[in-house]
Amino acid sequence: MSSIDMEDIVSSEADHIELGKFYFLNNKYDEAVSEFKKVLEINPGNAEAYYNIGLIKESSNLMNEAKEMYSKALAVKPDYKIVRDRLNKLIGIEN
Amino acid sequence: MKKNQFAVIGLGTFGYSVAVELAKKGIQVLAVDNNNETVNRISQFVTQALIADATDEKAMEDAGVADCDSVIISIGGNIETSILAILIVKEFGVKNVIVKSSSRWHSKVAAKLGVDTVVYPEFEMAKKLVDNIVMPNILEQIELSKDYNLVEVVAPKEIWGKTIKNSNIRNNYGVNIIAIRKHVPIINDDGQSDIKEEINMMPGSDDEIGRNDILVVIGSEKSVAKLRG
Repeated sequence: MSSIDMEDIVSSEADHIELGKFYFLNNKYDEAVSEFKKVLEINPGNAEAYYNIGLIKESSNLMNEAKEMYSKALAVKPDYKIVRDRLNKLIGIEN
Repeated sequence: MKKNQFAVIGLGTFGYSVAVELAKKGIQVLAVDNNNETVNRISQFVTQALIADATDEKAMEDAGVADCDSVIISIGGNIETSILAILIVKEFGVKNVIVKSSSRWHSKVAAKLGVDTVVYPEFEMAKKLVDNIVMPNILEQIELSKDYNLVEVVAPKEIWGKTIKNSNIRNNYGVNIIAIRKHVPIINDDGQSDIKEEINMMPGSDDEIGRNDILVVIGSEKSVAKLRG
C-alpha cells in the first residue's frame, strides 16, 4: 500500500486555508505560512490567506511585514473588519 | 465640585482626551474652555462642562476650579494664558497642579511657579518615536532612574526554548525578567484565526522563554542594549 501524500489530499484553496490554520494554532508558523502561500498561488486574491500570514508575522514581532500583509488583505477586501482593526492597532489608531 | 475631582482647563486635542479618559475611568471631571462648540461636544462625557476664560479669576472660582483636588492646565497655544491660569490655580491653593507644556521655556516657567507636574507630550513622543526607529526590538521603555529602565524587548534567539534559570539571563545580560508576554494563536467565535495576548507576571525560574516572546525586564541601559543585540 502506498503512503498517502498530504499534497494528494489537500488540493483546494479551502483545504490549504484549513491546514494553514491548523499549523498556526499549533505554533508551526513556517508550515502555516507555506500553506497560505499555496492558497495565494491558486488564488492571488484570497484575503484570508494574506490576513493569516499577517497574523503570523505579527506573532513573530515582524510588524512591518504584518502591516504589509494586512494592507494586501484590505486591498482585496476593504470591509474585512478584523483585519482593519489589527492594522489600525499596529499603526497606532484607536479602533 | 467636590474633593477628589479633576478640572481640565483647555480642551484642545490633549486636554479633551485627558478629560474624556478620566471620565471613562469613573472620575468626576470639570472641563473648562472658552470655545462654545468644544464645551458642548465634551458635555456628554464629563460631569460638568463650562465655557469660561482661564485668565478670569472670578470665572474660574465660580466654575468650581478652586474646590478641585487636581487641576490639569492644557493651554498649549498661548503660553501667557497658560501662565496666568497656573498663577490663578496656585493662588486657589489647589493641591495638585499638572501643566501641559509646549516648549522648554514654558516648562521652566511652570516649574518656577510651583506646579507639581509638567508634561511635554510632543517632546516625550519625539523621544519615543526615535527610540522605536533606532531600536526596533525595544517595544516600550520607561525610565525608572537616570541609569535604570523598565523595558519591553523581543526575546533574543539564543534563549528561545530555555527556562529562565537555564538562560542565565541575569548573569549574561545583567537584567531581571519581571514578566513575559506572548502572542497565542486562537480561533475566535466567528471561526477566524486571531491572536490573543497572555502575560506571565513574575515568571518562575522554571518558566520557559518561547520563540517570539516579549520580555519585560529591568536593567541598566547598557544591559538592555546587550539584550536587544
